[in-house]
Parts: sequence; structure tokens; C-alpha cells
Amino acid sequence: MRTFVESRFSLLAMVLVASLALYGVALGSRPDSAAPPVAPPVKAAVHAVSAVCPDPAGARVSVVTPPGRGERGRAVTRVLGRPEPVATVERPGTPWYGEARERAPLSVSADGAMAAGLEAAQTGRAVSGRLRGLSAARCVEPAATSWFVGPGPASAEVLVYLANIDDTRASAEIVAYTGEGPIIGDAGRGLLLAPGEHRVVNLKDVAPMAQVAALEVRTHEGRVAAAVRAVLPGGGVDWLPAAAPPAPRAIVSGVPGGAGRRQLFVAVPGEADALVDVKVVTADGTYALKGREQLEVPAGSAGYLELATGLAGQPASVIVTSEVPVVAGLMSVGTGTRQDVGFTASSPPIDSGSVVADNRSSRGQSSRLVLTAPAAPGRVRVTLLPARGPAPAPSQVEVPAGRTREVRLALPPGGDTGYAVLVEPLPGSGPVYGGRTLEERARTGLMLTIQPLAPARTWTYVPPVADSAAAVTD
Amino acid sequence: MHNARHIVTAVVVAHDGARWLPETLDGLFGQTRPVDRALAVDNGSRDGSAALLAEAFPRVITLSRSAGFGEAVAEAVRAAHPVEGAVEWLWLLHDDCAPAADALECLLEIAEADPRAAVLGPKLLDWLDRRVLVEIGVTVDKGGRRETGLEYREYDQGQHDGVRESLAVSTAGMLVRRDVFEQVGGFDDELPLFRDDIDLCWRIRAAGHRVLVVTDAVAWHAEAASRRRRRIAATGDHPRRADRRNALYVLAANLPTGAFLAALVRGIVGSLLRTLLFLLAKQPANALDEIAALAAVLGSPGRIRRARKRRGKAKRKTYPQVRKYFAPPGQGLRRIGEMVRGWLAGTGPVESAGRHHAVVAEPGEEEGEELLSDSGGLLQRIFTSPAVLLTLALLAVTLVAERSLLAGEGRIGGGALPPVYGGARDLWDQYLSGFHPIGVGTSADAPPYVAVLAVVSTLLLGKPWLAVTVLLLGCVPLAGLTAYLATRRVLDDVPARLWIAASYALLPVATGAIAAGRLGTAVVFVLLPVYAVLAAAVIGAERRVARRAAWALGLLLAVGTAFAPLVWLLALPLGGLAALAFGGVRRGVGVSLAIALLTPAALLGPWLYTLVLNPPRFLLEAGLHRPGLVDARLAPEALLLLSPGGPGMPPVWVTGGVVFAALAGLLLRRHRLFVAAGWTLALFGVLVAILVARTRVAPVSGGPEAHAWPGVALAFAATGLLVAAGVAARRIGELRAAGGVRRLSATLVVLVACAAPLLAAGAWIWKGAQGPLDRDNVSAVPALAAATAGEGERARTLILRVAGDGRVDYTIVRGRDPLVGEPDIPVAEDLRKRVDAAVAGLASGRGGDDVAVLGSFAVRFVVAPGKVPETLARTLDSQPGLARVSLSPIGGIWQLTRPAPRLSVVDAKGAAVTLPAGRVNASATVPSGGGGRLLVLREPAGPDWRATLDGVALEPRVAEGWAQAFALPEDGGVVTVTRAQFWRDAWVVTQGLLVLVVVVLALPGAKNDDPLAESPPEERPTGRRGQRRRGRTPDTVGAAS
Repeated sequence: MRTFVESRFSLLAMVLVASLALYGVALGSRPDSAAPPVAPPVKAAVHAVSAVCPDPAGARVSVVTPPGRGERGRAVTRVLGRPEPVATVERPGTPWYGEARERAPLSVSADGAMAAGLEAAQTGRAVSGRLRGLSAARCVEPAATSWFVGPGPASAEVLVYLANIDDTRASAEIVAYTGEGPIIGDAGRGLLLAPGEHRVVNLKDVAPMAQVAALEVRTHEGRVAAAVRAVLPGGGVDWLPAAAPPAPRAIVSGVPGGAGRRQLFVAVPGEADALVDVKVVTADGTYALKGREQLEVPAGSAGYLELATGLAGQPASVIVTSEVPVVAGLMSVGTGTRQDVGFTASSPPIDSGSVVADNRSSRGQSSRLVLTAPAAPGRVRVTLLPARGPAPAPSQVEVPAGRTREVRLALPPGGDTGYAVLVEPLPGSGPVYGGRTLEERARTGLMLTIQPLAPARTWTYVPPVADSAAAVTD
Repeated sequence: MHNARHIVTAVVVAHDGARWLPETLDGLFGQTRPVDRALAVDNGSRDGSAALLAEAFPRVITLSRSAGFGEAVAEAVRAAHPVEGAVEWLWLLHDDCAPAADALECLLEIAEADPRAAVLGPKLLDWLDRRVLVEIGVTVDKGGRRETGLEYREYDQGQHDGVRESLAVSTAGMLVRRDVFEQVGGFDDELPLFRDDIDLCWRIRAAGHRVLVVTDAVAWHAEAASRRRRRIAATGDHPRRADRRNALYVLAANLPTGAFLAALVRGIVGSLLRTLLFLLAKQPANALDEIAALAAVLGSPGRIRRARKRRGKAKRKTYPQVRKYFAPPGQGLRRIGEMVRGWLAGTGPVESAGRHHAVVAEPGEEEGEELLSDSGGLLQRIFTSPAVLLTLALLAVTLVAERSLLAGEGRIGGGALPPVYGGARDLWDQYLSGFHPIGVGTSADAPPYVAVLAVVSTLLLGKPWLAVTVLLLGCVPLAGLTAYLATRRVLDDVPARLWIAASYALLPVATGAIAAGRLGTAVVFVLLPVYAVLAAAVIGAERRVARRAAWALGLLLAVGTAFAPLVWLLALPLGGLAALAFGGVRRGVGVSLAIALLTPAALLGPWLYTLVLNPPRFLLEAGLHRPGLVDARLAPEALLLLSPGGPGMPPVWVTGGVVFAALAGLLLRRHRLFVAAGWTLALFGVLVAILVARTRVAPVSGGPEAHAWPGVALAFAATGLLVAAGVAARRIGELRAAGGVRRLSATLVVLVACAAPLLAAGAWIWKGAQGPLDRDNVSAVPALAAATAGEGERARTLILRVAGDGRVDYTIVRGRDPLVGEPDIPVAEDLRKRVDAAVAGLASGRGGDDVAVLGSFAVRFVVAPGKVPETLARTLDSQPGLARVSLSPIGGIWQLTRPAPRLSVVDAKGAAVTLPAGRVNASATVPSGGGGRLLVLREPAGPDWRATLDGVALEPRVAEGWAQAFALPEDGGVVTVTRAQFWRDAWVVTQGLLVLVVVVLALPGAKNDDPLAESPPEERPTGRRGQRRRGRTPDTVGAAS
């Protein structure tokens, strides 16, 4: 021992042993994963939501909230600007249908259990006259920006419905991206809407010459609920569904099967010309249509492409890709002596589920879902929510990767006045896009309307937050 | 008068002056122009002066010991009857003032030539060193300071020769016309000693006569009384106090009213300033004299009134005649400047001019003066000092490496450092206030490092960004300098010291601290070598030095602890070990160590207590604690090689040379204790670093937990390693001389060791100081929000930023960006959770009352700086109650449609009326209204808020579960809301006093216990001072005695 202590190397040995021990401690205590566990966003039910039906006069209004485990809640429907409710819905899981009379927007405000996934729609039906056809509009939440794409004033009467349901004024602006470039025009500029005010703008006053038009309704202050209705001179009427904001990849889903024109609209709101690749996804797979692989759209304008011959009557979705952000939509024309049209538009995947409030499968009417899984196989659960009686057992639908599948909705018991459909992706499912087609075979010709499946506002993800001055640095 | 006969009556006043009297009398009676009459007055001498006088003079007037000079002269004048038909002169001589043989002749020659001359004085030279000028006339400045216009110990080379006018001359050797003397009333009885001369000459000048200095006449003066070479009986006070008091008295008595008032103010300010300086110089007795003199003058206004009355009303008329002989106005400032400089240089506040008052014994040279070597010019001395060269080299490396941080569009900030806005004043405000109008409002205390930063910012032109730049960006050269100076006691080998200092300064801890904006670590890193050297002094130095070092160590530990509290935790066990090891060996070490370790606890009391309640916070440091700034899986080898991880790390092997050299030190047989101690410290530091790096801590403001950064602990470890390596360096020379294997291995060790700092510098320069810290920070608060926040509504702004991992960081600001330190002030937990929930809900878009909740916290704007993620923009856009103001690539602004103001009146139905409010307090008019109204102040409720309506206190309530409210009566009126902060004030004052005491105790002071202790000349301990000091500064007092 003594020799060890006096040895030249004793201290060195001791230090090395101690260092090794420290190394061991450091190694043993080293955490396994590099990333510090960040609290994941918490899934939380939506607390309050409101929706505006643009012009439900004479149309059927539907309000539904998917069944949940939530406590109580109410969805109150009011004519815009009037305090007294038209109807109050308090039962999630059961759709409510009613007829609206007044030519004024209808607001639906829901809270509590009724807010989680609230879906409202207006469905108009006329068997004759200029407005013959099925025309349905999903009642949307007011927003600062909304996009639409469809025929322009040169090929249809296009009306833009604006409503301000907030208690502060809104100042909106309509920008039209037409074949000639972006146009704001005096009629589209500085549209002031007092609280509770609504107005209709004829697109002809904004951009009179356009064959095809993409519309951006944006606000400088406040929010507006925007909706667009197109009436084709050759017959056919419908509301344009809101399109997903410009993105380099747009998926226009829910193209119904059957004969008739299928006209794809693509708008490029940016400042660079776009060479747009077009592919369709049908039950047979994903492919480009011969001779219609690409579409050239100049910057700030919109163009169109006829797809009917290539699709050959198959239900499909259209994938539009480009180097620059684009907005896409599609017009589907029905068959018969008198034509009706339906519009669909690019939409996001239905990760959080989707609800369509108004479906019918009786008296010559039929409802179909067109589901597309562009990348990975999709598995969804489809639940029908009849207006009366208990919901039947949900069915499960598999969509192969890169294909489209059409699902015909059978009439559920108690659903003869109408039923809602809830589409929820199952765990492990790839992204699923889709649309719902409502058709009525009338003697004079097929009447149709399409609603792309919009993600339900059932849940939101509440992010972790930190009170930190890091917010002011980057 | 030319033809008049001149008669000279000499008056010698003696008081315990037997040492000088013989020579004085020789001078008097050996005049070439003999005096006509000579009178002697003895003020009760006890040393045989009386006998000497009795031998020389036929008649000696004997007065009591307490009689002053003026009284003695007056007595002598009374005794000598005036001579008719002649111009009679009085020649006043002190017992310690020997005139040259021709002095009187020269004086009279001028007196005869100039009929207006009523007072003439000789050139006074020093009694001992007879070439040194003492006085050639004297004047005062407007602060009452005596001013001779001479340099300190200026040699007489004839440079001031000639006959000149002066405001006054000393009474030593003064020739004054008797009639004038009597006309103005002789000396003032109130001035038994000091300033009697100036007062007399002032009055004589005011009477229209001239005061001349005749340099051909020479007298040698010992200035025995003022230099304390004899006891003074004429006044009971210390000479310095008497001198100051009389100075103020003379001014007060003679100045015209306007100038008198100005001088009074100046005197008070000047006295207080000098008191402070003396306190800082640890000369409390001098400080006491200074303040006591002021009190004595101010305390007896009657005396001054009488004196002014005696001097009559002509003061103002004659003042211009007198004023032109005053010392120029800059003199006082220059004097104070010299005092400060002297104090900073460690020589104590020597006053170079005007020695005819108390001379302060100056302390000897202190440690830490080695920056300047003895020889060569100033520039040469500076630029050949290794410390300066090292600092410059490190500064150059720093400047190159930090090239991206030196210039930029915006403010410095990023990483742990919030962008630095504001001025020093804002920092002071923040530290001193008990309530912080930031975020939702908090009454928690500001962290103490804010005070340190405020002090540094104040010194650096009031600019916190400059302070942060110097402390953070400059930490490498600063640490190199402190490390080099700290090694002085351990090593005398300059290359080894340079190596240690450079290796230390360029450690990964430093580069990492800079890259991540860790101000706390940077400050501690610079201080650590100072800790080491002070700790060595506490343990090893002579007892009094050790005690002083202990106070200094305690103070600096407190500073370091304020920035990174881990410092204190590390110091505690090390101090305990040292107490165990040395406590029994050296007396007083235990107490000194206790002082050093407990001082931080005393200075930082309440703040440290909050840390004790939440111990993980000891591992945090000044600034933000964010996950991105640490390496959560820090590798074991990195820890052992002193690399703390995070941004700004060089390759991990860069420090290998340091470890290698320290390992080599283990092989030496000599100084094993030092090497072992160094390694113990190193291993201890690494162990703590491992524990720190593996601990996850939540930031003070809430938010995700993140691993702590082990920088401070690794800096401790590095210090230990460098001590071990430094010991080895002492033997390098021997080993190389030994030759053979030893020489080879020594060379190898040197090469590897020297590679460490070079590689570190190279790596740093190569990569640059890349990190979250940058200089591009611009205000995140939009101009609109900033402007609105200044209005009465006091709208707040919520700033949101989506972090990389999906987390949303937010902060609520009130019109300006957060200042340094403000993010470290915690908000009440329940309020934070409430705001957290609302912000999370807002960012999720779930709808509901989140916007309303934010509105209830007076938030009006929601701002997302930078490019706003699309989902967030959409979510905010679709939020009811929130309207977009603008959205662009530089950020988005939304506005709440129904924000609540900071102060409002809410009636029973819930309708609110906005009242204008200030940042903290408010005052507004409330209309009358219904019952059940509440005055709601949207700040956290607390007992310190007070509200009054037309002066009547309102009953406090709590609104919405958190906000301060007050019940309002139906009547209207002016409502005033204020906040009391007694406890904060009390603590800040206490803390300030404690810091002052510690600073005074820590500062190098005078070496002798009491510089003003009266000691008779023969007992003066001449040797002690001479031996202790190194003799570089002139030892005036010692040499004279």
C-alpha cells in the first residue's frame, strides 16, 4: 500500500479510475432519445362554431352534429340580423331538417356538444324554370379568405353572396382570376359589410368577359361567409363549393360516374405561369389521360380542360400538380333533355372525419360517396344518421391505394326524409379524399349536386404552449 | 507714505513648538533689517517653548492652551502700543516658521514701494526638504477648498518668482499693516486655526487694499499643526474637520448673498461627494470629519449671521475685487478627479494641492498593479505587458470569430438572451419596482442580476446593449485577462501563465455561452479566476488581507450567483472542504470562509429563498431556458473533455491538450498536493456537470422542461484541470534541461498542451460564432400596437410564434419588447395557466371563449411575427371576436373586437366604460351611475393596490377571479389608483446598504488602522509603513516625521 501511495503513478491511476467511473455514470444516465419529449398536441372537442347558409329561401336546411360523448349543447339557427331563433337543435347524432322561407342568410351557431363537428347545408330543388335542378351549398364558417373556381360570367350567371355575422364590420374584396389575369374591379373592391349585413355581387360587374374564373374573397378586416352560385344559360344551377387555398398539389375529389361533360378548372393566382400535370384516379388506378396530360395556365389566370372522354363515365378524383400553387375545381354536367350541373373543388383529406348533412335515397333520389385514397390504402367507417330512429350499424369501406371507390348509400330505417352521413378514417388509414353526389333521375333529365367531403370540425389539436420571451426572438 | 517711517513689530506665537522654535528665533533675530519690536505669545506650551521664548524676549504673553492664533496676535497687538507718526507693520511668525535672513528686508522693500499693499507674504518652503514649495500665496475655490496653485511636492526652481497679487497669504511670515489690521477687526475669533489667513486677507482686500506675495522673501515652514506633528489644543476637533468647517465658514461669512447661497449648495454637494469618496476609500474618520464639518456650519446659522453682519454690507460691492483672485472653477472638479483617480490607482485620495489642511495618509500600493511594469514610457509599458498582449490577441480572435455579431440591422439577442432593448434607466426601474407592468402583471421580484446589469449599463453610457456586448461577446478576452492575472500568485513562468489563460478563455464553455447568448455563464466564466485568486487569499494571506479578500469573494460570489445560482451551490461544499482543511491551521480562516459563503445569502436573500423553494432552478441561469439550446444526449466523452454541448461547440477533442497536460502533471513527484487538489476540483466539477446535464428543469416562466446546461460546472472543472496542468508547467524547464526521455516527454507535453488553445481559437474562427445569438432582432411589437399601448386604454399585445416542434410560444407585452430580465420574472401560476389555456385554445381554433378570456386580460392585439404558418393564420382568421388587421410575409396582426381596457367601470349589468390609465397608477374621472358598480383594474389582485374616489378609499374586490377591483359608490368623482411597494423598497434599501457595507469592507483601504489617530511625533511608527509598502509611492508623511 505504501509503495502504491508513493509511486509516481498512484495519482494517475486514481484519477483514471475516477474518470472511468464518471464516464460510466455519464453513459448510464444518458437519455435514450435525442429529442426531448415534447408534449403532443391534445385532441380537444371544438367548443363553439358557427356556419352561414348563404340563401336558403325555398330550400331545405339541414343541421347535424355527429354523435359524441359530450355534455349538452345547442345549435341555434337564426335569420341573419334577427335575434329570435328559427330552430334550436340540441341532440347530437340526429339531423334536423327544415324549410327556410326568407331570402336572407341563415346563421347556425353551436356550442358545447353540438359544436363538435357541426355541419349544415341548404339543398334547393326545382323541377322547372331557370333554376331547375338540385343546388346544394354547404353552410360555411366565416373566414378571412375563401377560394372558388368555376365558370365565369361569360358562360354563366355567377353571383357572390357575402354575409357578415360578426359584431364588427367587415371589409371584403373579390379578386377574379380569369383567362385575362387577375381583376378586382370597382364592384369587387371595398365591400363594406356592417355587422349582420349581407349582400350579393354579380361577378359580371367584376370581370364581365371571363369564361372561367377563380375567385378569391378576402377581407381586410373582419370575416365574411362567402358563397357563389352559378346559373348556366343552357340550363343547370348549383353552388360552387369552397376550394382549398392555392397549393402545388390539389385533389379534386368526388367526380361522379356517368355520362356528361366533366370540365376541370385550374387557376394560378401566383405570379408565375404554371404547367399543370393532370392525373385521374379511378377504380382502375391512377393515370394521366391521353392527350390531356398537361394544361398550361398563365400566371394570374384560369384555364380549363375537358375530361369526360378520358374518364369514360367512371367515378374519379383528379390530381392536379404544378410547380406553383394552383386552385382547382370541376363541373359535372348531367344528362337528359334538360341539363343540370354540379360542382366540386379541391379539398383537403378528411383526416378528422367528414359529415354530409343532407342525403336522400328515396323517391328517385340517390346518394353516393366517391372515395379516393391517392397514396396509401384507405379504410373508412361510414355511419348513416337518419332523421328518426337509431343509427344503423356503421359499415367499413376499404379503398385500395391509388384508386377510387364509389359507395352507394342505402336508405337507412327512418331516413326517408333524409339522413346524414359520417365518414371517419379508421386508424392506420392513408389519407382519404372524397365527395358525395346527390342525384335525382327526373323525366327531363338527371339533376345532380356534388359536395366535396370537407374535414369535420369535430376535433382540433390544442398545441402545447409556453409563456416564453422566445416568442419575440426567432 | 513714501517718506513715512516704517516700524516692524514681530509677533511670534508658540504652542508646543520647542522643536522648531530655536531655528525660528534665529531667523527672526538674524534679519538683515532687524525688527523694531518683538513680542512673543505662548499658548500654554508644555514642551519648554515658554522657556525658550523667555530667553529670547523680554516679555512673553502667556495664554491658555486653548487660545488660537488669532487670539494670540490680538493679545500681542493690544500689548504693543501704536507708534505715532510711523507706518507700523506687524510681522506674524509661527513657532515653526523660520524666515530667511533677508526676508523682512525684501518684504519691506515692496511694502514701501506700494502704498496700497497692506499684506505681504514670503515664499514658504518646506522645513525639511528645503527645495519643496509649500505656498506662494493662497486662494480658495468656490467650494472653500484652499488652493495654492502648486503641484504636489513641487520643487522651487524659481518658476513662480516675482511679486504678485494673491487673494491671501499664509499667516506664517505675514507682514500686515497694523492700522489696516485693526481697521478690519483683526482675526475672526471664530477661526482659531485654519483659514484665519484667508478670512483676514479677504476682509483686507474688501477694504480696498492689496495682498502681495514677495517671493524674494523666503521662510521655511513646518506646517506642524496641519500635518499633525503636534497636538492642537486650540480646537477640540480633528484638524481636518476644523479645516473643513472653517473653510465653509469663511465662504459663508464673506460672500455676498447670491454667491453665498450658491456656495452653500456647492459646499453641501461637494461635502457629500467627498464623504462618499472617503467612505469608499475606507477612511471613515475622514468621512466623518467631512460630514461633521458640514453639520457644524449648517448647525449654527446664528454664528454665520453674526459674522456676515460684522463684515457689513459692502460685500457685494467689493466682491468683484476679491473674486478675480479665486481659484478657477475647474479646480474643484480637477481635485475630485484626482481623488477618484488616486483611489482607483489604489493610492488613496491624495490631495495634491492645498496642503495647509489635514493631509490624509495614503494607503500603500495594493495588489493587482502588475499591468504596468516599472520602466519605460506608458505606451511601452502597456504594449510589452504580457497580460495586455494576451488580451489583445484574444480580442482579435474574438472579433474575427464574432464577425457575424458585430454588425447587424437590429438588436443583439437570440438563444437564451432576449433582444436587448431599453436603457439603463429601464433596468433600474425594473429592479426597483415591486410591481411589473409586463404580461398580465406580476408583483414577483426582478432577479438580482438585473441590478448588476443596470450598474454595468450605467457605467457604459446607460446602454444595456453595450453592457451585454462587453460582458457576453467580450467574455473571452476578459476571461483571458482575469485568468492571467489570477495565475500570478501560483506561477512566475509567463509562457505557462499565458497558456493557462488562453486555454481557459477559449474553452468550449465560453464559445458555447456566446453562441447561445448565455449571459449568466459568460459573467461567471470571467469571474471564476477571480474567485480562485480571492479564495487563495482567504486561505493563505495575512489575516487582514484575508478578511478583505473574503468580503470581496463574498461580493463577487453574489454577483456570479445572481447570474448563475449554481455558482453558490458549487462554492458551498468547496468552501466547507477548505474550512475543514485549513480552519485548524490558520486562525480566522473559518470565519473568513463563512463570510465569503454567507455574503451571497445575505445580499440575495429573498431571491435565493425562492430558489431554495424550487431547487431545480439553481441549475438555470440568467435568460431563457429553451430546449434547443442544450444537447439532451450529451455524450460522456464530451463531459469529460469539458464540452457542455449545445450551439457553438468546437470538435470535442479540441480540449484534449488541457486534459493531457493535467494528466502529465499527475506524474510529477513535487507539488503533488496541488495537482491532487486541482484534479479533485476537476473531477468534482465534472461530476456536478453530469448531474446538471442529466437534469431536466422547467423554465421559470413555465413551458416545456429542458435539460440544464452544464457550462458553469465544467468551467469549475476546467479551473481545476488548469491548476493541475499549471503546476506541471513549473517543471517543464527542469525536465527539458534533464535531457533524454524526460526532455522528449516534456517537449511532447508542451506541444500537445499548446495545441489546445490554438486549435480552439482556430475552430472558433473557422466556424464563427454561429448560433441562435444574432444581431438581426427587430421589434416584434408592431407600431400600431406600440402606439395604442401608450394610450389610456393600455392595450396589450399577445405575440405568438410556432416553434419547430409544434409548440406555440407566446408572450404578452405592453407596447414594447420585453427587456433583459423581464422574462425571468415569474407570473402567478394560476394566471399563467389561465392564459396558457386561452392561448392554446386560440391557436387550436376550437372556438369558445378563448378570445374573450384574452380580452379580459386587456389583450387587444394578437401578433404573429415572421412568416405565419398557414394553419395558424387560418385559425386566427376564423376566430370569432378576432379581426385580421394585416397579414404579410413579415407577420400578421389581428385585433380583438371586444378588448377590455386596463381600467374600466363595470356596472351591474356588465357594461363597461373605459377609463384612461397609466402604466401602473391611474387617475380618471368617473361619472355617477347606478349601484353595484365596480372599478376593474386588469392586474392581478393584491393588497398593495389602493384606490380612492375623491380622496375616500374604496373597498377592494376581486373581479373575474383574479383582477383587482374596487366597489364604486353611485356618485362620480376623480378616482385614483396607486400601488404601494413598501416591502420592495425596504428590501432594496437594505440590499443597497448591505452591498455598500460589503464593498467598503472589501475595498483596499488605508494600511494603518486609523490614519487620523493622533500620535506624538516621537511615537510615530515610522518603520511599519515603510516596511510593509513596497516603497514605490512617495512616503510623504513617513519621510517628514
